Amino acid sequence: MEVISSNLPLLTTLILFPIFSSFLLLFVREELVKFLSILASLIEVLFSLSLLYRFDLSNSEKVQFFERYYLLKDLNLSFAFGVDGLSLLMVLLNALITLVAVLWSIRDRQITFRLKEYYAWLLFSCGVLMGVFISFDLISFYVFYELTLVPMFFLIGIWGYKLRLYSAYKFFIYIFASSLLLLIGIGGVAVVHKREFGHFSFFYLDLLKNHYGEGLGLFLFLLFFIAFWVKSPFIPFHTWLPDAHGEAPTAGSVFLAAVLLKMGTYAILRFNFGLFPQITLKLQPFLIFLGILTIIYASWMTLVQKNVKRFVAYSSVSHMGFILTALSTLNLEGFRGGVMEMFAHGLTSAGLFMVAGFIYNRLHTFNFDRLRGSIRFMPLYALTTLLIVYGAMGLPGGSSFWGKFLTILSTNELSFKLSLITLIGAFFSAMYLLYFIKTLYIDAQTESVIVHFSDLRGYKLIAFTLLVIFIIFVGLYPKPFFKIYEASLKLILGGFK
Amino acid sequence: MEGLLVKINYLEFLHLMPELVLVFFSFLIMSLDLILKDKKLLRPFTYLSLLITLLVEIIYKNFGESFKIFVQDSLSYLMKIFIILVSFLILPFLDRYLKSKGSFYPEVYYLYLFTIVGMMFLVSSYNLLMIYVSLELVSVGFYVLTALLRGSFLSKEGAFKYLILGGVAIALASYGAFFMYLYSGSLDLREVLTYKSENKLLLNLGLTFFLIGMAIKIGAVPFHFWLPDAYQGAPTPITSFMASVGKLSFFIPLLRVVPYLQRYEDFWVVLVGFIAVLTMLFGNLVALVQKDLKRLLAYSSIAHSGYMLAGLTSVSFIGIKAVGYFLIAYALMSSGSFLIVAYLEEDERFKNKVEQISGLRFSNPTLALSFSLFMFSLLGVPITVGFFAKFLVFTSLANKNLYLIALLMALATAISTGYYLRLVVLAFMREGKESLKLPKLDPLGFLSLLLLTLSLFFFALFPGTVYDLIRW
Repeated sequence: MEVISSNLPLLTTLILFPIFSSFLLLFVREELVKFLSILASLIEVLFSLSLLYRFDLSNSEKVQFFERYYLLKDLNLSFAFGVDGLSLLMVLLNALITLVAVLWSIRDRQITFRLKEYYAWLLFSCGVLMGVFISFDLISFYVFYELTLVPMFFLIGIWGYKLRLYSAYKFFIYIFASSLLLLIGIGGVAVVHKREFGHFSFFYLDLLKNHYGEGLGLFLFLLFFIAFWVKSPFIPFHTWLPDAHGEAPTAGSVFLAAVLLKMGTYAILRFNFGLFPQITLKLQPFLIFLGILTIIYASWMTLVQKNVKRFVAYSSVSHMGFILTALSTLNLEGFRGGVMEMFAHGLTSAGLFMVAGFIYNRLHTFNFDRLRGSIRFMPLYALTTLLIVYGAMGLPGGSSFWGKFLTILSTNELSFKLSLITLIGAFFSAMYLLYFIKTLYIDAQTESVIVHFSDLRGYKLIAFTLLVIFIIFVGLYPKPFFKIYEASLKLILGGFK
Repeated sequence: MEGLLVKINYLEFLHLMPELVLVFFSFLIMSLDLILKDKKLLRPFTYLSLLITLLVEIIYKNFGESFKIFVQDSLSYLMKIFIILVSFLILPFLDRYLKSKGSFYPEVYYLYLFTIVGMMFLVSSYNLLMIYVSLELVSVGFYVLTALLRGSFLSKEGAFKYLILGGVAIALASYGAFFMYLYSGSLDLREVLTYKSENKLLLNLGLTFFLIGMAIKIGAVPFHFWLPDAYQGAPTPITSFMASVGKLSFFIPLLRVVPYLQRYEDFWVVLVGFIAVLTMLFGNLVALVQKDLKRLLAYSSIAHSGYMLAGLTSVSFIGIKAVGYFLIAYALMSSGSFLIVAYLEEDERFKNKVEQISGLRFSNPTLALSFSLFMFSLLGVPITVGFFAKFLVFTSLANKNLYLIALLMALATAISTGYYLRLVVLAFMREGKESLKLPKLDPLGFLSLLLLTLSLFFFALFPGTVYDLIRW
């Protein structure tokens, strides 16, 4: 892996712009806050699009726009920012989701107080998430990885629903505690580098050269993996997720499901698989088992949820199972499918949480049983919901199709039986979504109970439209996305040879 | 006879310049207190004397050894700068607090300065005799300052406990010195530890007693009993003083021992590691159930002693540097958090109950923000000094393959999430029953809190400013 430096501090701007604008928001008049935060997130989208424009696709496996700022020369501790194909995809996703989340929040019933803080935390969260995906030094990765907790903690704790404090605590403690293991692991990896090369280093490209002994390698792999296990999450550490997602305000859930969860799988792919290829090969059966278990367990849990947010939350867990299974096949199809699913699930889960938020805004309850029959008064809402669910189900033409299709294909390369099991998992995930559709669209209710609701409009409509466009685009024409990140995946795959 | 007539090279006094300046000013303020009718003048004089000492310390960089008992090196240089700086930042809250509690004595100024003198000597010596004398100079200052609150039973109780256990500590530590002298015929720690002899028992005994003495002073479990009472009873700015620079200076002798420990590493790792793990787990667990804010922070202070001791178990270059960084980080964090409590106490309704923090964001947003930042830093959330310190300790532990201690430290930190986070939740997410009405902060006090808050980020983003100076 090589780096291509740039003379412009593009990536620093990408991180610092939202963070600074979040500070600025605290000092402006309250009426201006909404407008300014839309403006800021639009500019952030433009920044990331300009990255895409300047990105050298023929060298997409190299780390481009590279910048490095030393914290401590003694230990080679630095903030190192760069973008390769994989990072670029996540950066685009993050910028898009920020815009959608801000647009959604403008007319959210839940967000009526402490507006300045709210939008400040949203933008701050966007900035640190950018940092997570473009960090190529383990310590700068960790800094941003853990900083994402703080804005989300406040978003859940202040603007969340009934059980918000409990959920905020649970979210913070689960992830903070697990990421401390990651911190020890990072120290351990740097120490191994020192023993081999004579100096400490936390820089990703340096650490790729490390060799690990049997026991220590496994130990360090687990320190990394447990942190991402909880973050992603896979069973049995998923219990923070339904609470956090269920109680967070809609925009918070959108962020959590669409981007924060992807941090876990992104990090597994880049750090666990990239740094410890030998150990990964040894643990492959376990990883696939964990993935499939998560798919099946979470799908069943989804089927029995009455609370629509918890419903979507569990469905996210099952999708994360898909991603892990796909990545753990350790072949190109699997990697392609897993990363595509990360992007696609980012779009559809954001959409589903907005569907849920809309139900709450109109009904003041998350029990989606109550909506049946009424959906006919909201044609636009019915249409967008259908399109999003279609995307999430993994039917051809929907955005999740490529992820699931490639997952099944790649497991087939390992063994036929495995692919059958994965197929059953995919079937379950279609089943709960069909059940959801049936409840909303087909189940009847006596005329007198049906409530007349007003349809989607204004900012929320824009937010939905944005997502739906992308969902359809990814489903029908995924080639450009594959092209962006494929080379970086091949590079990681090269480590297993 | 000739052996007794030590020829004094007066030039060696020059290494002691900052100390001498501060001693001079302390005596000056003491005599001014006797002479002057108007005690108001003492306050600016105290500020001035600390400022001058700070300038002398920074500018007059004369490294070297005096009379074989005093060392001015990079480590002591750095630590002294922070001791004076943090003490200076605590000072604006001191008389403010005491006046609001109706127990202001002008003596507090020179007691405060003499304590700082003690700390400055403590951080720059390898000689056991010198260490113990300056240790007592600091401790006596602390005993008196703790008992300063007029009519407060808690304050007297805390001071008394501190006095008794402090006395025991120094007795045990002297006992340790006796063993070490018996072993090597020297009181200089470097000579003791590099002395080659078969009879290791004497040295092990000596080190153990030395360690126990120091453990009492820094409040390590199971020798911590005085600490919560003293911290709770003392006037809060004094608590801040004890927790930050007091702890820092008590730790330095331990830090100075470590580089000479290569031959006794196994013994040291087991002993210190055991105390460290016990301290951090116990401190954090007990802090979880505290209802009194000062007591909670006191237990958090015990837990932090544990983290630092854990860093000391890694007998390596990076381990010592990590602990040195941690000491300064903790001095900044603890002084700030206790000072905010001191400021809150100026509202008479504030009885230090944890619940009374609730709604702070609505009554005083900036203070709530600053308080939360201190809590996040104590917890170790990036990118604050608290995070960076913990990270360095983790790395140093990994360096010596002490993963068990590292994992237990992660566990302790995870436990601590419970109470630090609770304070943030109370401040930001709960509405208080009554909103606190605080008097306006004077410019110096505001500046001091602002600097302390900003320093949380400054020394994490530019750790080299501190880290590179930790040499000896």
